[in-house]
Amino acid sequence: MRRNFAMGMSRRCVPFTPFDAKLSESMVALVSKAGVHLKDQELFKLDGDNTIRVLPGDVTSADLMVTDGHYDHADADRDINCIFPIDRLRELHRDGLIGGLGDKHIGLGYSLNLKETYEVTAPQVADLIERSKADLVVLTAG
Amino acid sequence: MRGLPTVLITVAPEESALMRPPRALWPVGFKLGSSLGGQPPLQRQVLLDSLSLFVGPPDPGKIREMRYPESGQ
Repeated sequence: MRRNFAMGMSRRCVPFTPFDAKLSESMVALVSKAGVHLKDQELFKLDGDNTIRVLPGDVTSADLMVTDGHYDHADADRDINCIFPIDRLRELHRDGLIGGLGDKHIGLGYSLNLKETYEVTAPQVADLIERSKADLVVLTAG
Repeated sequence: MRGLPTVLITVAPEESALMRPPRALWPVGFKLGSSLGGQPPLQRQVLLDSLSLFVGPPDPGKIREMRYPESGQ
């Protein structure tokens, strides 16, 4: 259903979902296209990879790494929060500014196959997040 | 399908605009590979500014420019 909706959407349409709750009561998940994954997960293929890495909600920066060959991720190798702000998000929860973190986050790899990204990967990510505890999603791309 | 409220943090606003993001923040002057900056206080501020787009007046499709002294811009 989601895929059909996406394929039939006007090119001028902005797929806006309203938010009318409080940040301090909302669970936030991260979804990143910057090649982020757990250190013990399969590496992304550098020549194109539309597969998904599901990251546990309690993941920390120390558990994560980047596999991506199309941008300089030296800064992220030192501190992954510069592209995937998982520790900062947890601090916001600690300070009562958000309700918590989702029970899963998503890492995605680099791919020029945008048709597959749009029609296959993105709907899969949306389904994973919809079935998670997240109320909001912060997207990053490197 | 209930939809997912999202916000994008982007350093490539022209490319991102083609995707018609419902909410998006552009930290001006930040580079690809460090879209939230290198220092934790700056990362926190960029993250807070992106989250603020959920509670401010809706402006779907608009990419909000934000300038941070730390970026040198």
